[in-house]
Amino acid sequence: MDFFSFVEGPLLWIAFLIFIIGSLIRVATFVSLSTKKDKIIYQHFSWKYVFATLVRWILPLNKDLVKNPVFSILGYIFHICLIVVPIWYAGHITLWEESRFEWSWSSIPDGLADWMTLIFLAIAIFFLLRRIFSPGIRLISAFSDYLLLIVTALPFLTGYFLTHGTLDGIGFWGDNMQLFHMLSAELMLILIPFTKLSHYILFFFSRGASGVEFGRRGYSI
Amino acid sequence: MSQEIMEFLKPRVGARFKMWLNICAHCGLCANTCHYYTANDNDPKMIPSYKIRFLKEILRKKGKVDRDYLQRVYETVYYECNMCRRCTLYCPFAIDIALMISLLRALLFSQGIAPEGLVRAIENYKKFGNQMAVTDEDWVETIEWCEEETAEELVGLKIPIDKKGAKLLYTVNAREPMFYPQDMMEVAKIFHVAGEDYTYCSKPGWDDTNLSMFCGDLKTSKMIVENTFKRAEELEVKQVAITE
Ligand code: SF4
Ligand code: SF4
Repeated sequence: MDFFSFVEGPLLWIAFLIFIIGSLIRVATFVSLSTKKDKIIYQHFSWKYVFATLVRWILPLNKDLVKNPVFSILGYIFHICLIVVPIWYAGHITLWEESRFEWSWSSIPDGLADWMTLIFLAIAIFFLLRRIFSPGIRLISAFSDYLLLIVTALPFLTGYFLTHGTLDGIGFWGDNMQLFHMLSAELMLILIPFTKLSHYILFFFSRGASGVEFGRRGYSI
Repeated sequence: MSQEIMEFLKPRVGARFKMWLNICAHCGLCANTCHYYTANDNDPKMIPSYKIRFLKEILRKKGKVDRDYLQRVYETVYYECNMCRRCTLYCPFAIDIALMISLLRALLFSQGIAPEGLVRAIENYKKFGNQMAVTDEDWVETIEWCEEETAEELVGLKIPIDKKGAKLLYTVNAREPMFYPQDMMEVAKIFHVAGEDYTYCSKPGWDDTNLSMFCGDLKTSKMIVENTFKRAEELEVKQVAITE
């Protein structure tokens, strides 16, 4: 098996499995440890507060829109693109159809996927510059914050290059863009459970826990 | 010392704390929600997320930090955050910064580091059941004196003490008998005119402040609250009312 087949086959499996199992372990660890050490959540548990807080923050119905409108709106757009493009891009769905699962669902138009990718990349660059140049954000940024932003943006950048043949003339880069695209996506999937990117799932538990705590006290959630 | 620190932290660093230290995106959305940040010309060091770096560091270093380090933690957790929880209302993950600051304060307290005034108040709570070291006799005398003074104005006014079966157990800030008895007199007048069925209690439980909470001394905190509950049960009151 050459390197390409490895990246296309086994490594993809490994990446997805690490992503899924790793995420489940993160959740299980939180749940089991919290039932022992954060009993307060369960003593006062209320779905009402959990739902209320999740809805207000998944939809842009929260205080941040007023307090930090620019950053919040960019944050929402960033996350929408991040979720929608990989899942509903037609090229990806074709791969699922051809896979052993033969799964299929409808796609978004390629033109839209293109625009979303460009917007995503633009926001990613803005976030990066903000991290570098805004004194406050620079102070609280760790090395991993820069790294993870780049890791998250790379699959989009390489995906765009791949579908548009942007770098095709440039020997090594052009020839291997598909490899880079897969590798970068796999890297991201693998890193998710071990880093702050795990917030994609822990978000629900973190907001839920604080929603219970703040809701019962009558604070805004 | 490092062992003591870890022994203190281990049972207290729960699932939420671990998760929060891990998922904080360092996005800075909490920055301009903190009054310390805005009041200090947007000083980056006042960003809520930055203030809890100590907890992360201490855990990473397995408690191997020196006295100077703890002194720096002290400066931050007492003088750069008053645990108001406002930042949490704006954090996308609702990370409870104040709760972690409170844990750091508790850790410092366990290592003998806390503001002098608070330490004194805690000693008073333990000895006298109130923060101002008012003895039971002085307390009852003060109420009686308030009653005498006020009754001159409103004839027939009584301030009930230990009245079993009253509707309300009324509690005060211990500074009132000490420095502002006129507050107690005003309240007595209001209760009298309103015909409210209330009572003071003569034994500890009448001070409704809980300063030990500010340095995370939950043991004393609990004792203070329990005192009030004990009195409420003994006197078979329906509700406990606290001063403003
Ligand atoms: S808003 Fe929340 S996630 Fe963002 S830096 Fe502040 S504490 Fe961290
Ligand atoms: S809890 Fe502390 S850090 Fe957060 S807003 Fe209040 S003072 Fe600032």
